[in-house]
Amino acid sequence: MARIIVVTSGKGGVGKTTSSASFSTGLAMRGHKTVVIDFDVGLRNLDLIMGCERRVVYDLINVVHKEATLNQALIKDKHCENLYILPASQTRDKDALTEDGVEAVLAELIKMDFEFIVCDSPAGIEHGALMALTFADEALIVTNPEVSSVRDSDRILGIIQAKSRRAQSGGEPVKEHLLITRYSPKRVEAGEMLSFEDVQEILRIPLIGIIPESEQVLHASNQGNPAIHFTGTDVAEAYTDVVSRFLGEEVELKFTDYEKPGFLKRIFGAK
Amino acid sequence: MPKSKLQKPIEIKISTVVAVSAIMYTSDLVALDAAMHEMTGGVSDFFEGDLAVIDVGDLAPGCERIDWAATIALLKKYRLNPVAVRNAKPDMVEEIQQHGLQLDSGKREEAPVPAPKPAPAPAPAPAPAPTPAAPAFSGTMIIDTPVRAGQRIYARGGDLIVMAVVNNGAEIIADGNIHVYNTLNGRALAGASGDASARIFAMSMSPELVSIAGVYRTFEDGFPTENARKPVQIRLKGESLDIQSVNSAK
Repeated sequence: MARIIVVTSGKGGVGKTTSSASFSTGLAMRGHKTVVIDFDVGLRNLDLIMGCERRVVYDLINVVHKEATLNQALIKDKHCENLYILPASQTRDKDALTEDGVEAVLAELIKMDFEFIVCDSPAGIEHGALMALTFADEALIVTNPEVSSVRDSDRILGIIQAKSRRAQSGGEPVKEHLLITRYSPKRVEAGEMLSFEDVQEILRIPLIGIIPESEQVLHASNQGNPAIHFTGTDVAEAYTDVVSRFLGEEVELKFTDYEKPGFLKRIFGAK
Repeated sequence: MPKSKLQKPIEIKISTVVAVSAIMYTSDLVALDAAMHEMTGGVSDFFEGDLAVIDVGDLAPGCERIDWAATIALLKKYRLNPVAVRNAKPDMVEEIQQHGLQLDSGKREEAPVPAPKPAPAPAPAPAPAPTPAAPAFSGTMIIDTPVRAGQRIYARGGDLIVMAVVNNGAEIIADGNIHVYNTLNGRALAGASGDASARIFAMSMSPELVSIAGVYRTFEDGFPTENARKPVQIRLKGESLDIQSVNSAK
């Protein structure tokens, strides 16, 4: 049974697209047939981060408007056998997305035997974000450890509870997961950043992972290669753990404690 | 894009209308006019066409004879827009309706008379005893999930009990009391339709705003530290809100 997962946050710039890219790549690397859809119509980014921007011919809006078939619009990922990308349109606006159209696209993807359908939501709580979350079975709530991001995540959780199909049909509610990104244990220690416990205390949903703040993310974006591919880095390891937890495995939480650099490390510099 | 919603010719939804209460102590038009003039300071758009509910429950004895046409005209002159009458005596009803006003029965008139007496001091907050364990519809609304930023919950005509957190940016409103068996960080407005005996209880609070019967208080400099992270009750004493640790209540 296919699962539709929305990656959302309310606030912009917290790492939704980065997380969507690595999360869907991670699922595909584990052998699951996965598609990631960019709902940020008009401001598409996902294709850049996935490194397929030059291969975009048709997009989500074309499919919604039946100007292209789904097969024409789906882009096969260059690294992963099982991963497909459905890009957003750069030239249209979000109102071009209709609820019926999105539903039809999702139904067709399910028919094509995709196991996971990852919806990369735009920022905000407007039409585009609503379209991304309406049909979700599960939600990854991407939150930075600072008050405004937490407040916006709280708001989007309320919207999921009110506006999603699952909520409106009175069925089982959307399963929520908290993904904390850009976490810096050092700054938490210094009291400059909320701890993950603080964030959880406010949002009260299960934590699926913590992604440490890292320069690697920027490198990855610039190269058009999802951060999870950079084996050996903290970020890649953290996203791999998120995928494992999502698939039901128990993995210990990492990157939460700040270790003061030891004497040698201070002399020779951190890696 | 046309959504199915837009194609419906009409939709009926619950909505809350804000109206002011015009509580009349006299029916003497001259006295009323003078008082209104003084209150508004002669500013013609003081009320900006606010809806008004005329409350005649506290009329002084001997003033029960009301010239409705003139009273309505008087309020309209000060840009109040009377829509209903509250606490009307049965013999006034016909005349009120003739003047196009509604009767506001106000559920609290039926309930509070027996209710506040049997449950006066809810001493230990965790015990949910103070809410009358009515077998049928008790008018109490119970919320089990977190109330999140941007959400607003209104318990019309009764108490509101929230078992989960009320986060910053959320708003909980009740015509009766508000109980939060968790942390209250948003806005809480009890006695929303004027019940001054309503109270707010929370296991711990750091609210943005609390209000009882329209008397409100914000906490720009933070919640009083002596009551922070403790079970607290808030009630209206005179014109100010009294914040008390539940444990200190007798």
